[in-house]
Amino acid sequence: MTTPEARDPALDVELMAYADGTLDPGRRVEVEARLARDAEARDAVAQWRHFDNLIRQTGRAADELPANLRIEALERQLAARLQRRRWQAALMGPRMRQVAASVAIFAAGWGAHALYGAGDALVGHSHPGFVQSTLAGHLSHVLASQQRAEFAGDDMTEALEWLSAQMQRKIDSPKLERLGYRVESARLIVVDDAPVAVFYYRNAEDERVTVSMTPQHATQPHYALRMAKVQDDRMAYWTADAMHYTVVAKTDAARITALAAAVQP
Amino acid sequence: MNLKSELHAHVASLRRYALVLTRDPVAADDLVQETLVKAIDKADTFRPDTDLRPWLFRILHNTHISDLRRARTRADAAADLPEPLARECQQTQLELKQVLGALDRLPEAQRAPIILIALREMSYAEAARTLDVPLGTFMSRLGRGREALRKIVQGVGSGKLALLKRKEDGA
Repeated sequence: MTTPEARDPALDVELMAYADGTLDPGRRVEVEARLARDAEARDAVAQWRHFDNLIRQTGRAADELPANLRIEALERQLAARLQRRRWQAALMGPRMRQVAASVAIFAAGWGAHALYGAGDALVGHSHPGFVQSTLAGHLSHVLASQQRAEFAGDDMTEALEWLSAQMQRKIDSPKLERLGYRVESARLIVVDDAPVAVFYYRNAEDERVTVSMTPQHATQPHYALRMAKVQDDRMAYWTADAMHYTVVAKTDAARITALAAAVQP
Repeated sequence: MNLKSELHAHVASLRRYALVLTRDPVAADDLVQETLVKAIDKADTFRPDTDLRPWLFRILHNTHISDLRRARTRADAAADLPEPLARECQQTQLELKQVLGALDRLPEAQRAPIILIALREMSYAEAARTLDVPLGTFMSRLGRGREALRKIVQGVGSGKLALLKRKEDGA
């Protein structure tokens, strides 16, 4: 018997999700209770599943087909092309395009971190060693030409005063000490005429974190907190109080969130 | 999973999808080959931060839609199912023919969602991306298609299948 609550099965997304086994467990009990009362919905689910099984049987017969050498060759060719495409994207991805668009902070923070850290984070594991070395060298050359000053970890008071003067606003330490990190050095680099303060931290487990700050130009957008994964590194960046921030570390999503929260003024 | 392993799994899925679409092993492999050739040509447009599976399925689907020759093949080869299915019992065979026949009577916009979900190869969202339609449109087509399929099969089933059951009961 169909109850007054019965709906058109064709329009019932929950019923379909139930039939396909993708319904949220929290909703399953309610749908099952409804099915117990609604014969039409019950029949619909049973038949959808039956038809799906028959169609799936037909598809699975493909697994019994003999290997197709032409398909295998094309598969290898496509894998090579897609791998090359991934390399291109790693080298010319959003971070690099952002540099071209003068959003210097992202590339400065990430690039500096990669250089200061193991270096392999920049280019990933897919590239031959000589490409990795060349890119690290290139980045080193670029950053050296952009660097204006460098301070040791025990000169942070002086560094913060100097950075504040150069950036014409008060620069505070990222305060990662509370998470067990020690500042090793700070630098001022200039990218596309924009000053970028970069702080390098390390903890007792030799985990490195790079934090950078640069004033938000009037023509630049305000960024809500965003997370990104760059090869093995994770990056968080955002804008607050007219300042762009970037935090980069070889760590997991939870840790980069905690680091960003610690840096957040 | 590395790229080669991932791609190998996707190609196996493509062969399953192609077999349901064409009902003919040779036509299915032709469709997969054509798909891979097109994917190689389009590799430079693939965004590595997106899912590979819907991208490949979309190429296969579009190739199938635009290929009238294969549409004719499907009509001609409807009974030419792969060997493993030929050993199924008579009733399952008849049901299978009815369902596949009913699928062929549906518009392509409804048939493709049903097949993609039935194969359990991807989520609703991935299947919607494969067919390049919004998720709401996809769900609507899936639901309408399933109900239309049910009505067609019920109409047929009241004839042939009922006759078969009566024969079995009497045997």
